[in-house]
Amino acid sequence: MADNRLLGLALVFAPLSILSFGGGQAIVPEIQHQSVVVHGWLSDAQFTDLFAISRAAPGPSTLIAALIGWQVAGLLGAVLATLAIYVPSSVVVYAAASWWQRNEGSLVRRAIERGLAPVAVGLIFAGAVTVLRAAHADALALATTAVATAALYFTKVNSYTLVGLVALFYLAVQAI
Amino acid sequence: MTAETRDSDAPPPAKVGLLPLLGVFLRLGTMTFGGSVQAWVHREVVARRGWLDDQAFLSGLTVAQVLPGANPVNIALYVGLQLRGGVGAAIAVLGMVVPAFGVILVLGALYRNYGHLPAVHFVLGGMAASGVGATLAMGIKVARRLPRNLMAPPIAVAVFIVVGVLRWPMVPVVLVAIPLSIGWAFIMERGAKDGR
Repeated sequence: MADNRLLGLALVFAPLSILSFGGGQAIVPEIQHQSVVVHGWLSDAQFTDLFAISRAAPGPSTLIAALIGWQVAGLLGAVLATLAIYVPSSVVVYAAASWWQRNEGSLVRRAIERGLAPVAVGLIFAGAVTVLRAAHADALALATTAVATAALYFTKVNSYTLVGLVALFYLAVQAI
Repeated sequence: MTAETRDSDAPPPAKVGLLPLLGVFLRLGTMTFGGSVQAWVHREVVARRGWLDDQAFLSGLTVAQVLPGANPVNIALYVGLQLRGGVGAAIAVLGMVVPAFGVILVLGALYRNYGHLPAVHFVLGGMAASGVGATLAMGIKVARRLPRNLMAPPIAVAVFIVVGVLRWPMVPVVLVAIPLSIGWAFIMERGAKDGR
């Protein structure tokens, strides 16, 4: 029984790992379908709660796999689901990055580096807009973003200090 | 496998210790709020410590975003591999995932008890907003270093508009933009090598 559930977790998350192009957002609907409709591990409301936590928590949003694994089969389920969602994609990235390292200094690699840079810049700004939109950013959030941008651009302020200060500030605002 | 990387004729950068590597990624693993992981990694690995230069980081970042897998895990794997080979990759990924794994299970338990409180959402929203600030600060820094030519800035702007504003799916967009951009860069590199 428990073995079947563990196997089910692996069979759901390992293939999705290979399909998680673009950081995992693309596979969230499929995770919902598999865990709620196909396997009945969670209710819709449970899935929505776990999704909200995975978005608010540090770390990749695909760590929702850990929360689902925990729900299905306890700590072992959480560990197994996490391995299943990260190991297959990591093997692919490792192979690609190894080729990358072996070809240091080659004309092709220099062209790839120079060619990827503008695409990366476009994606960085697109990512910022996407996060703001997903968070339904209000004036306070936009102001926070502006202040954080300026602080991080013009000073060498420690990242953790900044996030901590923002959290304290929001707690204070909430308390008033 | 890992020994193959030794025969590069470029001098290796000063070797980064495995413990400092683990330490940096353990902290990054607890701090990557709101999808801004690349910005925090850039700040810790490139801006503050100089372990990688901008170009090496950016190319790794794009590889991490294009290939399957969570961006934080992929970028950790890439940085670890660049700095210390296979062992470094494993250590960086563990550092990135294990704290977040622990935190998310604790949050999952807490959320069942306190998730209905509006203050929880409010504070997390503020932390995500500062994460976007980190993304923008990094974007401005790297955008300023793009070559000012006829190709790089238009590609960056086009990718931003199509993915960020028009919200086209990222993968097909990138599959078109990357060959175009690399092909152009290859022609430029070859031209520079041949003395124009």
